[in-house]
Amino acid sequence: MVMPAMSEKERRPEDDGRDFANAAWSIPSYLLAGIILYGGAGWLLSRWTGVAVFTPIGVILGVVLSIYLVYRKFGR
Amino acid sequence: MNALTVLAADEFKAPGLELFEIPPLWDGAPFWLTKPVVLAVLSSLLMIGLCWSAFSNPKLVPRGIQNVAEMGYMFVRDQIARPFLGKDTDRWMGLLLSIFLLVWLWNLLGVVPVLQFPVASHIAFPIVLAASIYLLKIYLGIKHQGAIGYFKNMMFPPGLPKFIYVLLAPIEFLSNLIIAPFTHAVRLFANMFAGHMILAFFSMVGFWFLFEKLTPLGAPVGVVGVLMTIAMTGFELFIQFLQAFLFALLAAMYIGGSLHPEH
Amino acid sequence: MTTAATLLAAEGSSPIMPHAYELVVGGFAFLVVFLVVGKILTPRIQKTLNERTEAIEGGIKKAEDLQAEAQRTLAEYRTQLAEARQEAARLREEAREQGAQIKAELREEAQAEARRLIEAAHAQIEADRQQALAQLQSEIGRLSTDLAGRIVGESLEDEARQRRIIDRFLDEIEARPEAVR
Repeated sequence: MVMPAMSEKERRPEDDGRDFANAAWSIPSYLLAGIILYGGAGWLLSRWTGVAVFTPIGVILGVVLSIYLVYRKFGR
Repeated sequence: MNALTVLAADEFKAPGLELFEIPPLWDGAPFWLTKPVVLAVLSSLLMIGLCWSAFSNPKLVPRGIQNVAEMGYMFVRDQIARPFLGKDTDRWMGLLLSIFLLVWLWNLLGVVPVLQFPVASHIAFPIVLAASIYLLKIYLGIKHQGAIGYFKNMMFPPGLPKFIYVLLAPIEFLSNLIIAPFTHAVRLFANMFAGHMILAFFSMVGFWFLFEKLTPLGAPVGVVGVLMTIAMTGFELFIQFLQAFLFALLAAMYIGGSLHPEH
Repeated sequence: MTTAATLLAAEGSSPIMPHAYELVVGGFAFLVVFLVVGKILTPRIQKTLNERTEAIEGGIKKAEDLQAEAQRTLAEYRTQLAEARQEAARLREEAREQGAQIKAELREEAQAEARRLIEAAHAQIEADRQQALAQLQSEIGRLSTDLAGRIVGESLEDEARQRRIIDRFLDEIEARPEAVR
């Protein structure tokens, strides 16, 4: 994870706890957002094209993107 | 209405949504004068009274209610505010203390005999609080990071490959600006709603099988209902506290996130 | 009233739909609590907590200062006491030495004085003896001639007379005590 040198220097012990809590409470929100957004897009695509498989693909894409986002934001 | 249906029917009928459809206090009363409204106002007055007697003239060496209230203050400060707000803690303690104590008191009314209605199980109340925090969050974010900076920091966290922003920015937007406030309110509401339903169900089982239709076969079921009511009341006390804690904790987290952008 | 009733019915249909009047009451209840508890009471308790922290920290600081002060004083007293003891020991030693010296001097002086007195006494005795001797010699010579003259002058009449003469002579000698000394 690329971080500016400044914030690296200014890190205090309590920041770790805050990051952990932030991550813990952000994950469900991100997952839900990803699933709704890309699952919804997939569902619309299925409706439009008639190909049912777009819906699960959209849901999975949403989950993967959400996890990736959380990992990049909060992972070490 | 629900009491009538329970009494009239021969068969036991589990309580449903009618638990939450509350008529005005008496016939001819204004339509808005219902039990949750009265309880909300009462709990505000009660909380102001308690806090006033504890903190209006605080002593250097605390005694009695000030001692107890100080424990509450320390809890909110050390467990809720400090982890997210750091040196800004003292500025936001008034808001967080108010939220935590008010929500907890609202929740507690769910197990107080006679009153027995958790105010937050009517979604309007959590919505008001969550919406206040939501507006504050956006206001603080724009004030401290600038209008463009705030949304840029939120939707485009640094350090990701350029092309992926197209896919991730909508997730950030949806998560931070729509789902977060929504779940903030709904989590509290749903917990209190479900808790009230469960308590009502078990107490009604006890009441029905021990008082309404006392039969040799039904009596043990009624006893189980009473025991479960007691057990679930204890569990509810825990959930009530936990939800008040979480509600205030998320408020602190949103405020902290707006004051300092995530890196 | 009918519109209100239909509104209520429509709103009450789903638990997820908020009642407008509950939004108003909830907002009002929260606002009042926030103004009283958050804006009036919280600053008071914060002030008290800060004062308490300062009081405790001040107390600790003061106690530490006092302790350091006491330690310093104690150390000072100890060094002073040690110095005083050393000084006292030195003085005692000095006094003892001086005493011994004085005693020795006194003894010597006394012995010298005693010797001097004895010598003086011896000298006096010797002188007295010499004087007595000299006097005696001259006296004896004169007496002898005197005696001889008388003996010759009386022409030795008789023995009894001679004896009387000798007795008288000897009486005379006894009557002059200085002659013997």
